[in-house]
Amino acid sequence: MTPLAASPKNMHELSIAEALIGQVEEEVERSGQTGRITHLDVTVGRLSGVSCDSLRFAFELLAPNTLVEGAKLNITEPVAKCRCHHCKSLTEIDDLIMECPKCSSREISIEGGRDLLLQSIELED
Amino acid sequence: MKIIAARKLLKANDQLAEENRARLDAAGVFCVNVVGSPGAGKTTLLEALFATVAGRVKPAVIEGDIAGSLDAERIAKLGVPVVQINTEGACHLDANMIAAALGSLDYDAVDVLFIENVGNLVCTAGFDLGEHLRIVVLSTSEGDDKAAKYPAIFQGSDALVITKADLLPHTNFNADRITADMKRLAPNAEIFQVAALRGDGIVATADWLVQKLSSGR
Repeated sequence: MTPLAASPKNMHELSIAEALIGQVEEEVERSGQTGRITHLDVTVGRLSGVSCDSLRFAFELLAPNTLVEGAKLNITEPVAKCRCHHCKSLTEIDDLIMECPKCSSREISIEGGRDLLLQSIELED
Repeated sequence: MKIIAARKLLKANDQLAEENRARLDAAGVFCVNVVGSPGAGKTTLLEALFATVAGRVKPAVIEGDIAGSLDAERIAKLGVPVVQINTEGACHLDANMIAAALGSLDYDAVDVLFIENVGNLVCTAGFDLGEHLRIVVLSTSEGDDKAAKYPAIFQGSDALVITKADLLPHTNFNADRITADMKRLAPNAEIFQVAALRGDGIVATADWLVQKLSSGR
């Protein structure tokens, strides 16, 4: 048996915040900009499995001594939609569901709401 | 000044997962990600499967645990090569941890690699590890509503193994309900009922895996 220790992380959102900060650093380096980062625009779909509160908490925890220290996290949370093939309704949903909220048919498809994106980075000039 | 990035946040993991898959393909190793709650019976299922496929395939295991190596010790006792990953608190394995573990595997001695993920029905759903197949393990004592309550993990799985089927008479678990939910979430997934300690259903599950392994390589 070979023991192997991974880097310490203690929740899902912490590794997402880590990825976010890493990607911001890559993008800023590539742009050659040196101004302080003021805002980050992030998309966290309602069905992405990520809790925005936990993501904010993890971000604040990891931000000190990185390029994003002091930056504000703007999160947009696109909703998902349930399209029912039986009653033809289109309903906004917050959770993955099994049946149409209108007619309880199981002939449904879930659209959108899964995005987890770094949209843009705002820096001082 | 605004930089438009429009990047997927999990892209780094997805990229690493693709690299893991390519590495495994090149080495001719078929990889199975085993997910389920703590206590669902993931390790017991693996033990039973290994006894059944002995001589037919050469398995190895990557054990993901928050702490300790209890499961890895059980697997090692069977003479199966095992690598322990301690996530030190993390609720899931990610592709980067698997990449590190792949380095310590003897590919020549392995043709199917099982990754026993951290016991969790939520976070493990978001992380592709580079596997070829994902199996979700659910015990009858956990309840038949789990696919409806944790759809993401069931939706992305290729098989549902219902464990502890010998306890069915003592629970209100309705196999028809979970079967209907699973068929809705993952229409092509296989569904098995096993009682691993007694051996019920293990041969069918093992045969399916061996068939997947031979068609997947």
